[in-house]
Amino acid sequence: MQRLLIFISFILILSSCKQNDIFQDQPSVYQTGDNLLWAKTTFNDQHWKNERGNTSDKLFWIRSHVRLLQSPNGPLGLKIQSFGSFDVYWDGVLIGSNGRVAKPEIAGTERSVFSVPDSLSAKGPHLLALRARQSYKQTTQRGVDIKLDNYISLLKSPLIMMSFMNLMAGAFLIAAIYYFFLFANSKRKEYTILIFAIICLLFFALLIIEYIKFYIDIPYTHFFVRMEVIGWLTFSISLFVPLYFSIQFNFKWKVLLFSALFSTLTAIYILNLGHYDWTAILYSLAMWVSAVVVVLYAIIQKEKGSIIVLTGLILSAIAVNFLYYDLGIFIGFTIIVLCMLYLHTLRVRVIEEEHQSSVLLSSRLKLELIKKNIQPHFLRNTLTSLIDWVEESPKKGVEFIQALAGEFDIMNDISDAELIPIHKEIALCKTHLSVMQFRKEMRYEWEESGIDEAEFIPPAIIHTILENGITHSMPLADGKIYFLLSFQRALNYKIYTFETRAENRLLTKERKGGNGFQYIRARLTESYGDRWEFISEAVPQGWVTTIKLYHK
Amino acid sequence: MRILIIEDEGRIAKRLERMTRSFFDENLTSVCICDYLQKGLAHIAEHQIDILLLDLNLNGENGFDILESVVAGSFHTIIVSAYTDRAIHAFSYGVLDFVPKPFDEHRLSMAFKRIGATVKRTENSMKVLAVKKAGQLHLIDIDDLLYIKGAGIYSELHLQNGRLELHDKSLETLEQLLPESFERIHKSYIIPMKHAEKITVQAGSKYNLLLKNGEVLPIGRSRYKDLKKRLI
Repeated sequence: MQRLLIFISFILILSSCKQNDIFQDQPSVYQTGDNLLWAKTTFNDQHWKNERGNTSDKLFWIRSHVRLLQSPNGPLGLKIQSFGSFDVYWDGVLIGSNGRVAKPEIAGTERSVFSVPDSLSAKGPHLLALRARQSYKQTTQRGVDIKLDNYISLLKSPLIMMSFMNLMAGAFLIAAIYYFFLFANSKRKEYTILIFAIICLLFFALLIIEYIKFYIDIPYTHFFVRMEVIGWLTFSISLFVPLYFSIQFNFKWKVLLFSALFSTLTAIYILNLGHYDWTAILYSLAMWVSAVVVVLYAIIQKEKGSIIVLTGLILSAIAVNFLYYDLGIFIGFTIIVLCMLYLHTLRVRVIEEEHQSSVLLSSRLKLELIKKNIQPHFLRNTLTSLIDWVEESPKKGVEFIQALAGEFDIMNDISDAELIPIHKEIALCKTHLSVMQFRKEMRYEWEESGIDEAEFIPPAIIHTILENGITHSMPLADGKIYFLLSFQRALNYKIYTFETRAENRLLTKERKGGNGFQYIRARLTESYGDRWEFISEAVPQGWVTTIKLYHK
Repeated sequence: MRILIIEDEGRIAKRLERMTRSFFDENLTSVCICDYLQKGLAHIAEHQIDILLLDLNLNGENGFDILESVVAGSFHTIIVSAYTDRAIHAFSYGVLDFVPKPFDEHRLSMAFKRIGATVKRTENSMKVLAVKKAGQLHLIDIDDLLYIKGAGIYSELHLQNGRLELHDKSLETLEQLLPESFERIHKSYIIPMKHAEKITVQAGSKYNLLLKNGEVLPIGRSRYKDLKKRLI
């Protein structure tokens, strides 16, 4: 990314050198009426007006004195940017027309290019005269902008510009489609992805609309439609770009920033009605300032990638200031979008790492669950008791084996799941108790209340609490140990309470909850994020464990 | 024989008791079962016992934590455990045997038969001696021993650094636990063979053993031949 930014700044420096014009022109003069003599170079236009004035739907003439400073190295071309339809006279010779001047007028395009005959292309003074009509948009006073250059390069240069812009537009279109799909198909809805896709699409549209003028003839009557569309596209981009940064960088005062930005943009629109290019520049400036505010905040907060984004923003400002507007703003925007893309990859990496670690945790927990029944303490003690039962009372031994098989079956059944129905968990606990009754020769009583069969729970967490209860308890006076599982619902949480009613054993060390509790906590985190609470403590009647699961 | 079983699995405890009774038969004075550690330790403190059958994982507590204190006692300890991978560790503390679960009667009687057997073990032998001193436990590396002298129901551990420690086990009990590199040279002496220099003969055909540090210990008449063989 750093290298790319250096590369871009290098390109900026290169492209900031402007080439020199090969001509000079004087302000155009206007005269309402129609006279073919007005095309002549010899006609004196000193009394003509400097403005078109109100020409209504009448014919009027425009004369412009130009001086060719150097030969154009090939055929001379003339580019005219103006409203209306007109016939073009160069040194008194008709060299072309734009639209149809005769009534009813056919509107010409705002930009037109004409070839000048070689015989009239000598260095020195020349006269351009336009026989024009502007029956539409009569009140719009738009001057005539003239450019003389090599005819071929006048035709070619928009093509070259467009080739780059279309390339960029294509890239943005692909990015927009890709990120839309990504958003639509990903389970966790990352709104930055959607915003990024929208920005890419807006940017694609902006590029296409901006340069559409080179390949579609837009009559001057519709000239402002395009400008208006460009204005609104810029408006939206100016809102979305800082929004994207503020989400990516966890900006604190989003509402404040965006109400300020929105009102600024609206004010710019209202105060500069009709000044399309200027409005767009102001929009971009507002966007830039708010983006910088967000990024500076991010730098203070030491957010990843914030320095690079700031560098990108500064470069884009340089691009806009040192290149001519149309090009500069696009290069500036491109740099910003690149920064966003870079941020996005950073984010993706974080998500990837989170995903990897969660997969790792899941498989570790799965392993831990499977290990429960094959760890030596459980397996070898069970087998020893089993041998004893088989030797002493084969019939009981068979019952024992069946209970054990039952526990293994359920374990096997649930070991792959992240959540299992509560009744399965209870079945597991009950088979475990019957196995333990054979081993410990103690009587265990299982009770439950308020259990909702439709509820799900991570596998073997009640089982783990039960194991702890068996391990750490001594029977009550009646020779039994009681286990009670109850379930309750509250407004914003549900709670499982597991009570062990027994005498707690004296311990050589304080009971802190080892691997078992770690397993339970990891399982709860896996399934409920941080929306759970796990408390396990001694009470006078024995031991109480509560698992509180909060709703979202 | 007075036997204590510390085992939290009811069925297994009963199995141990049954097999113990059938092995010792009328030689058995008492068998007591404790199902948790605290209770067992209290029993040891109050009663004399000869053999302790100990499970290493009791109600989630690590039995190794108390192994040091039980091996410092006068009785023999036999571990009966599911954690077979801890056997070597247990042996290094000087337990008589390690019976892995699941076990049968034959395996348990093999452990009992070690009591009183004079066959020296070549592997799985003791590496440290746990000694109780002023209520504190500390471990003595058996490589630091110069010799052990019997003193009735106790033993005196004479160390190379000149210090003297008392051990609750008798010389006979220790002899069964010590590795092959130790030799009983007298009814009151066990020495590590690496410290033996040579046998000297005193007037009246009394044999003595000169240690490398210059100390002289008596040699039992009946043990002279074996010792001579080992020294050559």
